[in-house]
Amino acid sequence: MKIAGAHVLAVSQERAYALLQDPVVLGKSMPGCDSLEQIGDSQYHMKMKMMLASISGLFDGTVRIADRNPATSFRLIVEGAGKIGFMKGDGLLTLIPVDGGTNVQYEGSVEVGGTIAAVGQRLLDTTSKMIIKRFFDKLSAEVSSSGETTVTSTPSSTITS
Amino acid sequence: MIPQEFDYSAPTNLQEAFQLIADGERKVLAGGMSLIPLMKLRLATPEHVVDLGRVPDLNHIGDEGSVIHIGAMATHHDVETSAVIRARCPLLAETASNIGDVQVRNRGTLGGSIAHADPSADYPAALVALEGKIRIASAKAERTVPAAAFFLDPFTTALEPGELVVEVLVPAEAGSEGYRYEKLEHPASGFAIVGIAARIQKSGRGIAMARIGVTGLGPHAFRALETERLLESGAEMEKAVASLGEGEEANSDLYASADYRRHLARVHARRAIAVALTRAS
Repeated sequence: MKIAGAHVLAVSQERAYALLQDPVVLGKSMPGCDSLEQIGDSQYHMKMKMMLASISGLFDGTVRIADRNPATSFRLIVEGAGKIGFMKGDGLLTLIPVDGGTNVQYEGSVEVGGTIAAVGQRLLDTTSKMIIKRFFDKLSAEVSSSGETTVTSTPSSTITS
Repeated sequence: MIPQEFDYSAPTNLQEAFQLIADGERKVLAGGMSLIPLMKLRLATPEHVVDLGRVPDLNHIGDEGSVIHIGAMATHHDVETSAVIRARCPLLAETASNIGDVQVRNRGTLGGSIAHADPSADYPAALVALEGKIRIASAKAERTVPAAAFFLDPFTTALEPGELVVEVLVPAEAGSEGYRYEKLEHPASGFAIVGIAARIQKSGRGIAMARIGVTGLGPHAFRALETERLLESGAEMEKAVASLGEGEEANSDLYASADYRRHLARVHARRAIAVALTRAS
């Protein structure tokens, strides 16, 4: 499944770049993230509890940052597995300064397997979009609560199977 | 196909049910048409299930003047066959008759379905088109939320931990009003790939009132406000229908891409409006 979209964060490009790689901020912003600890250079161990309606599952995985190109782009690779399935996501994030903030564009792919994918195919797309939206919403909230000025975030996303 | 072990409580009154779910950790079981399959697949592994099946009077259907009150535990079959609902808000009865199959309609409940908030469920389209309200209660308080503000995201509603849907309130449709629920059904699951609930009131040759509820197209059910406005202002049907889903995010899966879904929504809206017009007097 391909994912792509953009979100405007109300901070400068440098600040947005730093925020998106700050494990504390990432940990707080990722929906359901219980813990995020550094296990190597640009690599983190993540524990997640996904809760979606009746479905709930614990995921154990890693978050890796690669291809750093300070202030303009980097790749985020997330892998996780749990009893109800596994997922692997690989995305390129590009930061472009715009009026009043930074436009964070993402493009990549997500693979989901196991029971959750076999049974929930109908719902993967909608729920992935929702999780990405919540991540950016929480990130925007983190940005504004850390005392930085905020402008409205304007989300848009497309997902194709 | 065998669920993980869980504790089970079957309260016999609402107060007891509120106490049991107060901490928000326990899972509420209504008809079980979504929860039980998920538990059997172990996608859902609740530690404690609270069954509302033995709480009396939660499946009442009553006519209180201009508003129809429907208890949360009324089954789809109850809604489909109730004389009160058929006479006073036939759109809801027609929608219920389109849900799943006979077995699901006999067990599944109105409250369970809307609390689960599947983005392709049938009821939400009708409830937003009817401008219904959801009565929610907990051990401490009670509140009423308009249907349009209840469905927030896929599987996400305005319900807070510790709260239950207790009743759905639907304003009675006018006798002169035409209605139609039109859906394209997923062949395996019976869920709506898209579903359109339409209400039309005529005035002379024009349309005095239009309400179009859409399910399956976006992350949650919504009213096609622009389409309604165009219909009410005398625009051509094609133009009005073409505005449906414009600029809205559309769902996409292996069965139907976002563009195809948007197209389907317009085709079904046209059909639903056409039938509603012939039924309006």
